[in-house]
Amino acid sequence: MIQVLIDALVRTAELSFLAVGLTMVYGVLRFANFAHVEFATVGAYLALALSSSLGLPLVLAAILAIVLSGGLGIGFDRLIFSRLRTASPIMLMIASFALGIAMRETVRAIWGPSPFFYNLGVLAPIRLFGALITPTQIAIILAALVAMLAFHFLLSGTRLGIAMRATADNATLSEASGIPTERIIRAVWFIGSGFAALGGVLVGLNTQVKPDMGFGLIVEVFCAAIVGGIGSPYGAILGAVLVGFAENFGLAVDWSTPLNAIGIAAGPYAYIPTGYKSAIAFVLLILTLLWRPRGILGTKA
Amino acid sequence: MIEFFVYLVTIAAIWGILSLSLNLQYGVAGLVNLGHVGFFMLGAYTSTILVVMGGWPIPVGMIGGAVAAAVFGILMALPAANLREDYWAISTLAAAEIVRIIFLNTNLGGPYVGEAFGVSGIPRPLREWFEAHGYSLPSYNLFYMVVVLLCLAAAFVLVTYLASTPFGRSLKALREGDEVPLALGKPVGFLRVRVMAVGGALAGLAGALFAHYNAYIAPEYFLPLETFIVWAMIIVGGPGNFIGALAGTVIIQILYNSTRFIASLVDIDAQILGSLRMIVIAVLIILVILYMPQGIVPERRRRYGP
Repeated sequence: MIQVLIDALVRTAELSFLAVGLTMVYGVLRFANFAHVEFATVGAYLALALSSSLGLPLVLAAILAIVLSGGLGIGFDRLIFSRLRTASPIMLMIASFALGIAMRETVRAIWGPSPFFYNLGVLAPIRLFGALITPTQIAIILAALVAMLAFHFLLSGTRLGIAMRATADNATLSEASGIPTERIIRAVWFIGSGFAALGGVLVGLNTQVKPDMGFGLIVEVFCAAIVGGIGSPYGAILGAVLVGFAENFGLAVDWSTPLNAIGIAAGPYAYIPTGYKSAIAFVLLILTLLWRPRGILGTKA
Repeated sequence: MIEFFVYLVTIAAIWGILSLSLNLQYGVAGLVNLGHVGFFMLGAYTSTILVVMGGWPIPVGMIGGAVAAAVFGILMALPAANLREDYWAISTLAAAEIVRIIFLNTNLGGPYVGEAFGVSGIPRPLREWFEAHGYSLPSYNLFYMVVVLLCLAAAFVLVTYLASTPFGRSLKALREGDEVPLALGKPVGFLRVRVMAVGGALAGLAGALFAHYNAYIAPEYFLPLETFIVWAMIIVGGPGNFIGALAGTVIIQILYNSTRFIASLVDIDAQILGSLRMIVIAVLIILVILYMPQGIVPERRRRYGP
């Protein structure tokens, strides 16, 4: 069970970066950005390219990749989304879907479809309470904790963070109070896309770097953001915890006892096949839509 | 050359049915369905299972495919019926992915049937009859093209008729916001469920036509990318206009298939070319949204009053 707990924590860490960025862009711009997960792919590949071709150490390459991805987010906003500020959210959503495909296919055209790995050498896993955890996984969980704390101080303690929350709450009113909305939007794109890139690097560290790595997470990331309450950054973290734990424990739990209890003969063991892992997030999403569409910490639906 | 033309027209007509049905859901009713390929896949697989494993005649299989897709549309619409478009987008996308995951993980009998192997040897309607009477495969393909075109024409008549009925006008009111239809006492949630069922049935029929044309289906044919291509057709053609949806289908299909000719002219890797054509379509969509949001054939809006 400790092993499952560790896997769930790693998954939570990866998802929370993506979900926080998604929910921030949604909070300020009021549209579901389907291109968001592709920033993870782009960030992971940029870090790979910087570390392998320029020979930079991976940490430095990752930081550069995060900054570059954040800049890319601002660039796409200037190029596409800033011209659609008054358009319907549906048009923004479709434009972001198209942008996401363009990003993913560009990555595929440049680096090809086969997966890559970060060159870390062989790292011996550490034994912890009878479970195995690799140093990378420890780094992922620590990075998530540090980044989320920093993010919390940014939101609650700095002028920028307070302005961001005000803009997300009521854009018209905050602009009337003298908050430069366009600058806040740029900051949100930078932080959101940068967080997504960091999430992508972490996913790449834990598994592999491939063109579909971002899009493969889209249901989980949206589920985390919606379950927590879309537009609420703390909700997104909570949602990531729920999705990460539901996925890992859902697969690890032997469902035969409850299944036998309701009369479905399931035999001595009944596990959810791993192929259905992303179906768990979907079930969670549907339950949220039925029970509380605005999410746990959300304010409006 | 003529054989390629027949192939292109057949495929474009199948995708035409898809874009007409999505246009009914999005262009007319304003529902952001990002899981259209789910209907297509369910239609293709249901018809295949009924015909190949169940031994039913092909028309029954096709009708079964359409019915299964319609039921799926109802199931898809129920939890989201009264929610905003963002929730529609992600829940439909996820639902279509679930359909794909289920077929990807289900063995349909035998070691190489179902799962990632797909199903091969799907019978084609009246193929034996044509063979027995000495017709070649190209002339059979010509016959199938006519069948698909007839289905497309029927679908066009159906959606145009539906859009002109009180049901269709309620859907158009729904697209502009819930307030007016609610004030008039229209059941907004039920209207959405119904349009998902009708559009789903049409897309399911398109899937069945595809399965019995291609004779082989596998989960890799039904990636979310396919939904995006149908969206490209509608956005480029003009949401809300059925002629526009067909025009968009022709444009995107020509773009999509033109890479075959480019590949023979320029020495370029097929993998890169495949990515490039998706980039071109994606950039085209963004340009249309930025500079021509009505599409190339804008919807005709009736004006009332002076």
